[in-house]
Amino acid sequence: MNRVVSNFDRGVLDKIHTSSLELLGETGIRFPNREALELFKHHGFKTEGEMVFFQEPDIEKALETVPEKFELHARNKVNSFVIGDDSYRMAPGYGPPFIIEPSGEMRQAVLEDTNKFCKLVQTSKALDFNSSIVAQPNDVPARTAHLDMLLSTMLLTDKPLMGSTSSRQCAIESLEMAEIIWGNTEKPVMLNLVDSLSPLQYAEEMIDALLVYAKARQPLLIHSSCSLGSSGPITIAGSLVISNACTLAGICLTQLVNPGTPIVYGLGGSPTDMRTGGYINASPEDAKHTAIVTALGRYYHIPCRSQGALTESFSLDYQAGMESSMMLSTAALSGVHVSLHACGTYGSMLAMSFEKFLADEDLCCAIKALIKPIEFSEDAFAMDLIKKLGTSGTYLLESHTATRCRSEFFIPDLNIRTIHSKWLKMDPGPMDQRASQLLEKRLSEYKKPDMDPSIENDLIKYLEMKKK
Amino acid sequence: MAITDILNAVVSLKKEDVVENVIAEINKGTQVDDILNKGLIEAMDVVGARFSSGEVFVPEMLMAAKAMQAGLEVLKPYLSSDTAAQKGTVIIGTVKGDLHDIGKNLVAMMVEGAGFNIIDLGVDVDTDKFVTEAQIHNADVVCLSALLTTTMPAMARTVEAIKEAGLKVKTIIGGAPVTDAYARQIGADGFSDNAPGAVALIRKLVAVAA
Repeated sequence: MNRVVSNFDRGVLDKIHTSSLELLGETGIRFPNREALELFKHHGFKTEGEMVFFQEPDIEKALETVPEKFELHARNKVNSFVIGDDSYRMAPGYGPPFIIEPSGEMRQAVLEDTNKFCKLVQTSKALDFNSSIVAQPNDVPARTAHLDMLLSTMLLTDKPLMGSTSSRQCAIESLEMAEIIWGNTEKPVMLNLVDSLSPLQYAEEMIDALLVYAKARQPLLIHSSCSLGSSGPITIAGSLVISNACTLAGICLTQLVNPGTPIVYGLGGSPTDMRTGGYINASPEDAKHTAIVTALGRYYHIPCRSQGALTESFSLDYQAGMESSMMLSTAALSGVHVSLHACGTYGSMLAMSFEKFLADEDLCCAIKALIKPIEFSEDAFAMDLIKKLGTSGTYLLESHTATRCRSEFFIPDLNIRTIHSKWLKMDPGPMDQRASQLLEKRLSEYKKPDMDPSIENDLIKYLEMKKK
Repeated sequence: MAITDILNAVVSLKKEDVVENVIAEINKGTQVDDILNKGLIEAMDVVGARFSSGEVFVPEMLMAAKAMQAGLEVLKPYLSSDTAAQKGTVIIGTVKGDLHDIGKNLVAMMVEGAGFNIIDLGVDVDTDKFVTEAQIHNADVVCLSALLTTTMPAMARTVEAIKEAGLKVKTIIGGAPVTDAYARQIGADGFSDNAPGAVALIRKLVAVAA
């Protein structure tokens, strides 16, 4: 199956775009950040207090300089990849502060959890890069926690990574650590997530981080979403306009700072639970946003991002599987380029779970197998073999089968493919038990990737210096 | 016309009917405290209970609160100045560093709907401001809200500052990442994960203090 890219009516996309421009021009976006406001004024934008107003040519000019694709470099070149084209790249959970154990107990995450997740990312067949903030540790000082997490990411994995956007200082320090590995470079080595604050504004700290990374020409994932019915309109159409306006304004700022800065376009939206006021993170409405964000990304010729295997559940139950699968398969089949939270999250991204992480890896691999183009080579048609065997049906004895038997099909690590009598005896055990066993195996087999000892030493020294 | 008409109008989210019925009851010479307690406040208790059971949705509860407030506005000139103060004064705000206010606003409306004098300090509120405002208004309860895990420590600092200032005011906390265990850990007097629960908790704390 080739990837099915969402085919929304061009007129609908035009309407979302023009309605967004209307908001940008008439209502404006709030940028509570002196440097950003000065920059907007310098470029002739109309401002009123902290509100900035955008005209169509401003947005068009910004969109013209955003690259259609870019390469995200890993410290191990084998793991570098392009974001854009027909690629689909996945990263694990981003930011949950809690861990949910198989018993259901929820506890605060610690740095050792971050380290374990890094080891899983490094050995993952499914994940392409590390979110660098898989679980927010509570046993290290908050002021330097981003450095602890980044050090773990840099030492324990050699896949591409993400930087911290919590503040200007966090962004600067993330870049300084990257510089220890890559030197002073403008090649993209760190993807950085900037979220807007619905409705129609950005937080000061996020703008600070955006400015730092854009100056260094490091790629930015500009993402806007609202909670439908509370921080945005209850309708998907209204949500799309309000969030698209915010994302376009953020993109515009990046291109004013440094034209050509690589961007990943992000837009989401989740319903407000009308029974509680809470945020629902894995719903058909969520998935619909994922489908249309890919259409908008392609409309603007910018790589796009979606959420990943999200669930509201707190255990490895039917709900977790159903919701995670709906979210991730919609993303894959719609043509998303990047999914964060592809592995491990429970309860609206509030917590990570090692067992869910491993179950999600199976899901990610299944989905990557699903979108892998079907091979139509001469060898794949196997015409000679079919004619040779006729009605005998002994394909298992043929070398054509043997040479492809390990690569042709998706083979799950955890899903049950057994016989009823074994399943009745609970052999191989329930999903979370199987996942716990696999976790032990994965961690015991993990090997730290090579790193120049002087670089490793410099990174550790940098952290020690910053912690003083 | 009867006080139950006021109650029914609030429960049916009919603001104009609430106002009309409150005026009618005032003109009839019904005790204003009865209009307040048996009409408006009891109506919000009914709505709160239905919300807790999942029967009433959030926007409907907010509409009921607005209808109740419209009736309260009509009633205010007739109420003795200390009617609300007799129930108690409640200070509410989202703690420093946090800009989320949906849950906080919901609680504020429900607490006001329950007849308390509510002072909403907004979002991103400094620790000192909670302390100062609690002193100025001689508050009975301070409600602290946070959505971000990174701003939860600001709750702990605020609870500590209130205690250090020697205030007898009770503190309660709420918000998505907050738990009962965290409330106990930081020495808060209570926790609720929903708005009607916060009202019940405040009533309990104020009654105990009295």
